[in-house]
Amino acid sequence: MASISSRRLAKELREIQAEGCPVGISLVEANDFSKWVFTIQVMGDSLYQDEVHTLQFRFDPQYPISSPAVQFVVTDGKQAPIHPHVYSNGHICASILGNEWSPVLSVIAVCVTLQSMLASCKKKERPADNDRYVKHAPENPKKTLFHYDDDTV
Amino acid sequence: MPRRVPTVKDLRVKLCYICREEERADDPTQEGPPRAWTHPCSCTLIAHEQCLLKWIQSSQSTATRAPNALKCPQCGTAYEMESENTIVLRGLALGNKVLQRVGRYMTVFGAAAAIGVVGTSIYICLTAYGAWAVKRFIGEEMFNIILTDDPVNWPWSAYINLPLLPLSLILSRFKSSSSSMVIPLLLVWPPSSPVGDASKRLFDFWTQPENAARLSTMSLLPGGRSLLSYWPPPPMFFGLIGFPIIRSLYNKCFAHLYFKLLGTPLPAPRRLPRAGLRFNEGPFVIRIRAQFDEAEGQEEAERAQADAHQRQLAQEEAAAAAAEAALLGAGDDAAPAAGENPDANAAAVEAAEQLIEVDASSLGRRIGGALIVPAIASAMGDALLGLSRHSHWLRLFLGVRGAGMGAGRMPLPPWGRYALTASDKTWSQLGVLQQARVGLRLVMTAFLGGSRTWVDSDPVWWRNGVGFALFVAAKDCIQLLHLWLAKRELETRRVKDRDFTGVDVRELDLLVPGRFK
Repeated sequence: MASISSRRLAKELREIQAEGCPVGISLVEANDFSKWVFTIQVMGDSLYQDEVHTLQFRFDPQYPISSPAVQFVVTDGKQAPIHPHVYSNGHICASILGNEWSPVLSVIAVCVTLQSMLASCKKKERPADNDRYVKHAPENPKKTLFHYDDDTV
Repeated sequence: MPRRVPTVKDLRVKLCYICREEERADDPTQEGPPRAWTHPCSCTLIAHEQCLLKWIQSSQSTATRAPNALKCPQCGTAYEMESENTIVLRGLALGNKVLQRVGRYMTVFGAAAAIGVVGTSIYICLTAYGAWAVKRFIGEEMFNIILTDDPVNWPWSAYINLPLLPLSLILSRFKSSSSSMVIPLLLVWPPSSPVGDASKRLFDFWTQPENAARLSTMSLLPGGRSLLSYWPPPPMFFGLIGFPIIRSLYNKCFAHLYFKLLGTPLPAPRRLPRAGLRFNEGPFVIRIRAQFDEAEGQEEAERAQADAHQRQLAQEEAAAAAAEAALLGAGDDAAPAAGENPDANAAAVEAAEQLIEVDASSLGRRIGGALIVPAIASAMGDALLGLSRHSHWLRLFLGVRGAGMGAGRMPLPPWGRYALTASDKTWSQLGVLQQARVGLRLVMTAFLGGSRTWVDSDPVWWRNGVGFALFVAAKDCIQLLHLWLAKRELETRRVKDRDFTGVDVRELDLLVPGRFK
């Protein structure tokens, strides 16, 4: 019997394939149940017009009890969007990826949340402590204990 | 059938919001045993009981997620849990929480305690050393009278003075000469009164009427007592006046000798080099670099020097790096320093000094040398005592007396009591003139006589001090000799000249080619 994690991911994948992704989001790669890759684009008027960013999900066997590790891909010429909650190494400071993660969320729900996070951005800038963070950041963003201080952006 | 509110059991299709598995009530192909479902909140989310419990348990085990563990992620309704949460378990949980808090305080207190323990042990070591040093220096007899081995008897000042003693000794090594240790010892101890049993015995002895009577008949200053009993000088008097005079005389003599021998004036009192301290510990070089500017230096001059200083530091740094790489050759350090001095002779002396310094600049050597001072003083004092058996004059000079208390003689009581018992009237009965006289007497005894116990005991401190002075003089002389020899060696250095044995004559461009084979 497959694990809860892979059965749930299989179901999420079936739904994506059946219903398609929301506008601006498309599945690039989902060869297994440990890593999925999406492209994400902000539709309509925003600071991120015509920018396409790549979002990577990594799942551990405890998914959905434990949150997926989500980050923007910054290799192969790809870049993380310039945003006050996105570090230049692709790590994202968002509470739903940390202590506010809930199994009721899904991969698509996370994508949509991040898409709206970009869409509502007022000013393109890196987080204030970007350099310091990037220098010492762990490879897996889940290992970082983010301090979620600003809910407005 | 009465209408009722539906429950999770009444749903046709159940979808777990956690694992996303579906269960259809009308699906006969359902595999496996039926699983328990739960609807824990006020919205439409439902879940397998097992999935939800797993989620709650997992969330509760992470401190940052714990606040969200027991509520619905959609409607925020708090989950109500039913469990065998007995009083015992709740008690244990509470206890755990309390312990956690206490543990945090423990961390802080523990750290403080650790610092305290380390500090205390350092303090104890310093104090023990101080007591040892005093014992060595003033002799066992005096030590037993004014300090004793038992810390219970110590006056409060001892707890400050004793631990400061090793520190001042070590510090003195980093200033000018090593001879300054006598000062703290001499200034600290004289006014102290006997302590412990000795004090009690003294007091009992001198409060007996016949003895007290004897006291009042004795006069304080010369007369009644032979002049010799005032030799050696009282420690405080000596420390304040005698010692500085002798030291400056000695320094003058030494400078004179230095000039005679080396042909260059003694450099200004050795102060710390501007680049800080440098210790040569075999494979390691320890540098302690701090700004020890002379106090009298004008600020502007200092600022002007700052740049040059920086450059010098940089050079030194480079030199040090090179030296360390090249196994710290002596020449590396000597060469640039010698080049700075315009006077060739002085330069040679400086170079020689540096040569010697390379082998004499270990930190351990300095500190160890400082801490061994009391032992040296004591040993020299003993040696002098031994010599004095053969010389009457030396015996007079050292003021050797038999052991005071040991010989059954009572030392005189401390100065305060003595001065007051000198008159049989009370203070108020005295006339103004008499009051002034007693007051003056008090001051004079304190200054000239120190504690009477000091005066009447065998002056171990005196012969130890003299012995140590001799040791310092001898050490300085040996250093001077070393310096002189090193300088002479430097000056007479020549590279040995050889002929061209083994070289083909034809390869040499000679003045008169034909004359060589």
